[in-house]
Amino acid sequence: MFNKKNSFVAATFAAASAVLLAFSTSVHAEAKVDYTKMSPEQLAEYLIFESDSFYLDQPTQEGTTGRDRLVQDEIQKICSLRPGQELDQKSREKIMAISRATIKYPEGGIKLGDWKKGRELAWSGFGWRTAHNPDDHTGSRQPGGNCYNCHEMATDRTGGNLGFTLTGYGARGTSPEVLKYTYDMIYNSNAFFPCTNMPRIGVKGLLTETQISDIMAYLLDPESPVNENVNPVRPQK
Amino acid sequence: MNVSPTTWLKRASWALPVVLAVASTAHAAPGQLPEEVFDGLVETSPHKNYLSQSQQNRMMMPDNPAWYVVEDGEKLFNEPRGPKNVPMSKCDFGKGPGVLDGAYVELPRYFADTGKVMDLDSRLEHCMKTLQGYTDADPAVKQKNGSNSDVMKLQAYIASKSGGYAWNPPMEHPLEKAMRNAGEVMFYRRSSVMDFACATCHSQPDKRIRASYLPSITVPEEWTKAISWPAYRVGHDNVRSSQHRLTGCFWQMRYPHAKNGSDATIALLSFWTDAARGQPAILPDMKR
Repeated sequence: MFNKKNSFVAATFAAASAVLLAFSTSVHAEAKVDYTKMSPEQLAEYLIFESDSFYLDQPTQEGTTGRDRLVQDEIQKICSLRPGQELDQKSREKIMAISRATIKYPEGGIKLGDWKKGRELAWSGFGWRTAHNPDDHTGSRQPGGNCYNCHEMATDRTGGNLGFTLTGYGARGTSPEVLKYTYDMIYNSNAFFPCTNMPRIGVKGLLTETQISDIMAYLLDPESPVNENVNPVRPQK
Repeated sequence: MNVSPTTWLKRASWALPVVLAVASTAHAAPGQLPEEVFDGLVETSPHKNYLSQSQQNRMMMPDNPAWYVVEDGEKLFNEPRGPKNVPMSKCDFGKGPGVLDGAYVELPRYFADTGKVMDLDSRLEHCMKTLQGYTDADPAVKQKNGSNSDVMKLQAYIASKSGGYAWNPPMEHPLEKAMRNAGEVMFYRRSSVMDFACATCHSQPDKRIRASYLPSITVPEEWTKAISWPAYRVGHDNVRSSQHRLTGCFWQMRYPHAKNGSDATIALLSFWTDAARGQPAILPDMKR
């Protein structure tokens, strides 16, 4: 039988072959381009989009193409800072304002889900990868949160340190303010930390509302291993 | 001292270049074994977490399975092959036909015969097609990955002739500079659904993804190890190339698939090689 994973992969390669064909007819047109006449920024854009370097028509799990993934949005453009480049105050404020406006809340308000599900989601790095080995979202595996890649959480599993540690996060309690802050951070942490390394999980639709609530429970539920053996530093409301 | 069965083979070809080569920096030491280069880096690096994270890999370096791939590559390199029955030793990798000592640490570079900046992978493919007469459809050209592929064997051999040499990609031709500078922009350019750039994971020392320390481009002693491909990847049980490393990163970054030897990949390789300038290459290396 022709299963969904195979059809996704097949579509990927059909698209890739189409790109190859398209380019083999336009090689002569490309040859006139002089890389040395372009600025580094112009050449980078040219190399990404015009030089037949990526399979730009490769399908994505969200129904777009590889090309769409590589086109930068405003925040990505501002945040592509090279050594010696700094975010000025105006840009900081702009990013925070844009980002606050992107955050959408669940209809019934922010609720905590199932910390056990959140624990596995926080550990999983599956999802949204394409390139040579696309993740199949239509099978039994759903995209994960990638949290442990960068954060320490419950200490029985080793987390990364690109992000700050979240061990004992639940000591903050579960007041509406804490729930909102936690939700906002997952949804789009640029609202607080402009040009953060953290993906805009809500904005980009990387996790569902339910998944976000499960991961929030993993962070905040007193029963969660994230909060094991950790003394609350602030009284709970 | 622990002398592995392959050590004589590794040392033998070095006698002449060691005498002839004048090290361009204090660190460079052509002819040093990969583990000797590595130990020197651990000693001098201000950051040691990335370099020292796998004691097991260090212990296995003298018996790196990549040496057998290098050996196979040497045979392939010297024998007349392809429809035109020409040996790869007629190919110019930048320092003249058949001259390999220190050639790889000066790639990518501009080649006048193609008018392009080429990396090892694309130069090799170019010579396989033009000199040996292979076509894209031939397995010798088509099969890019795995220790058993001709491309990987040849790359491993050619690169092994640059072990201990300092990375020194030429920047005289305007195209070489243009590619390096565009590669720098791409390295810091954020995109896709997770806003990742190469710099997200590789611009601060002592950072980890889960338990794995990441190499930082800001620490040249780390960066030379990071870019020392071909390397035997223990977790893959195969020798892997620079292009293969890029593919893995693009996958994690949620980018579309990049084409082997494409200009965008060569621009990134130009930048990342330039970033290790002056540091000795560990070739072949052994990685997680």
